[in-house]
Amino acid sequence: MSMIEICDSSQIIEGEITKITVDGIPPIAVSRYEGGIFVFPDTCPHADESLSEGWVEDGRIICGVHFAEFEFETGEVHNRPIGCPNLTFFKCEDRNGKVFAILNEEKTDV
Amino acid sequence: MCDNNSCGSARPNMKPVYPKADKYPEFAKLVDEEKSQVDRRVFTDEEVYQAELKQIFARAWLFLAHDSQIPNPGDFIRTSMGEDDIIVVRQRDKSVGAFINSCPHRGNRVCHVDSGKKSRGFICNYHGWSFGIDGGLRGTDGGVYDKDETFEKSEIGLPPVAQVQSYKGLIFGAFDPEAPSLEEFLGDFTFYLDIMLDNDQGGTEFIGGAIKSEISCNWKFPAENFVGDILHASWTHQSGAQAILGGGVDLGKRYDELAFQASIYGHGIESNLDKVGNTRTLGYPDLVDYVFDLSEKAKDRLGEVRARAIGAVSSSNVFPNFSFLPGQNTFRVWHPRGPDKIELVVWTIVNKNAPDHIKEQYRKGVMMTFSPGGVFEMDDGENWEYSTKVNEGYMTRQQPLHYALGVGTLDEERDLPGIVHKGSKNEANQRLFYSRWAEFMKYDNWDDLQNSKVTLPQNKKQQWSD
Ligand code: FES
Ligand code: FES
Ligand SMILES: [Fe+2]
Repeated sequence: MSMIEICDSSQIIEGEITKITVDGIPPIAVSRYEGGIFVFPDTCPHADESLSEGWVEDGRIICGVHFAEFEFETGEVHNRPIGCPNLTFFKCEDRNGKVFAILNEEKTDV
Repeated sequence: MCDNNSCGSARPNMKPVYPKADKYPEFAKLVDEEKSQVDRRVFTDEEVYQAELKQIFARAWLFLAHDSQIPNPGDFIRTSMGEDDIIVVRQRDKSVGAFINSCPHRGNRVCHVDSGKKSRGFICNYHGWSFGIDGGLRGTDGGVYDKDETFEKSEIGLPPVAQVQSYKGLIFGAFDPEAPSLEEFLGDFTFYLDIMLDNDQGGTEFIGGAIKSEISCNWKFPAENFVGDILHASWTHQSGAQAILGGGVDLGKRYDELAFQASIYGHGIESNLDKVGNTRTLGYPDLVDYVFDLSEKAKDRLGEVRARAIGAVSSSNVFPNFSFLPGQNTFRVWHPRGPDKIELVVWTIVNKNAPDHIKEQYRKGVMMTFSPGGVFEMDDGENWEYSTKVNEGYMTRQQPLHYALGVGTLDEERDLPGIVHKGSKNEANQRLFYSRWAEFMKYDNWDDLQNSKVTLPQNKKQQWSD
């Protein structure tokens, strides 16, 4: 899959999770942590709930439903509900204020 | 329910249900205001008990928590309103929410612990439905509901207690969306609550957790005891008082002049205004000094009379089942658990500004006196249990009970709010407690309840059975 434009980088706020819908693919979520931009599937790896309805706490993305916690950078899961895999981030970059990402869905299936 | 495609066309209606009250004139008659008698069925009858849950506990404002127990968003405690299990939780905007602790899926209890700090939410053990601290359904487990178009998450949640309000740190809830405001429900009784809640500028806090126990008695025995029964103290508590004070319960030298009972809407207090009689029973001389000092300073805030009441021999009940003892600094709720059982939850209240060693002495003092192992609570519990249990006898429960002490002692001159009677050794407040009980049985609306000619003082002219 090629790199596609998903949003303006000014839309992505430190410590917040924003949901983005791009036609034809499952919803994605973006967040900023310590300045860096992170793009990941909005659907929680645990039970198909929306991660953008969760929040960020101590360097982790918290799912608001069963409180799975995913580390920024590694995606490693903590406080894991049974059967919940790690979170996978998409490769992304900021090109002159526009965020581009490679939405390789296979990478999210563990 | 059915399973073919023509059914299930209407989606589940998951709106919380707040049933209307009814009228039970027959039960109201169990309180005989003419003869100052109460029929024992009010303590034993299962139908009367079910009517109490509906008419009283599903309508009245009930105590939930003290502000200091849940200071931060997500802090919560689990309590009861009647027999309903309730979660009380501080919201992000600092308001307080209260919810029925039962999952709207199969009804399972959602929160099992007594209290917690900074909760993220509450997840049901059964199928993993997850609720926010605002009670709303956040999500589910299994990855199936999101594919079900009829499933509307935003319409499902833990049923909220219709109203939550607070008075000077005490948080109350009412199931009835039509209940008047908490301050209207309390009426002028706030004047007496302030003896405990507002004798010092810093306000109050609960300290040291809660002490829980069960007593095999009807909930009204402790409620009527606290609303206005100092009579029992000199007999029931004689040995305990002897052990701690080296003498009997002393109501002060100016009893005839000062002692009174006051009642408003069935809430009641009796006090002897002897300054430190209750505090003394905790057994710490430092506390007595603290209260003498406080009483002097509080004259500005509370006036002469209430300043004398801070530590005095006294007791009080807020209708229906929330009691406190000035001086001993304990608040408690008698949760009904059937006609013949209660769960008692006891807290210690202190002024936030009190020195640490004073707070600690109150905490220990309450444990030594008014906890399941405390000298006074044990005395009371046994009496209430046998007052309840004997009614298992068919013939026994047909027999009348006498509630007539102090008929004719109405004090129309005394400059105090409420229906005031002379002397604390009196059953006036108990009679008015049962009158209020009867009103809740009889009336299906708040207009009648709040305009009662019996339990609301009418220019101090009206009085029960005088
Ligand atoms: S759906 Fe995210 S933790 Fe369960
Ligand atoms: S009973 Fe709570 S999720 Fe099923
Ligand atoms: Fe007692």
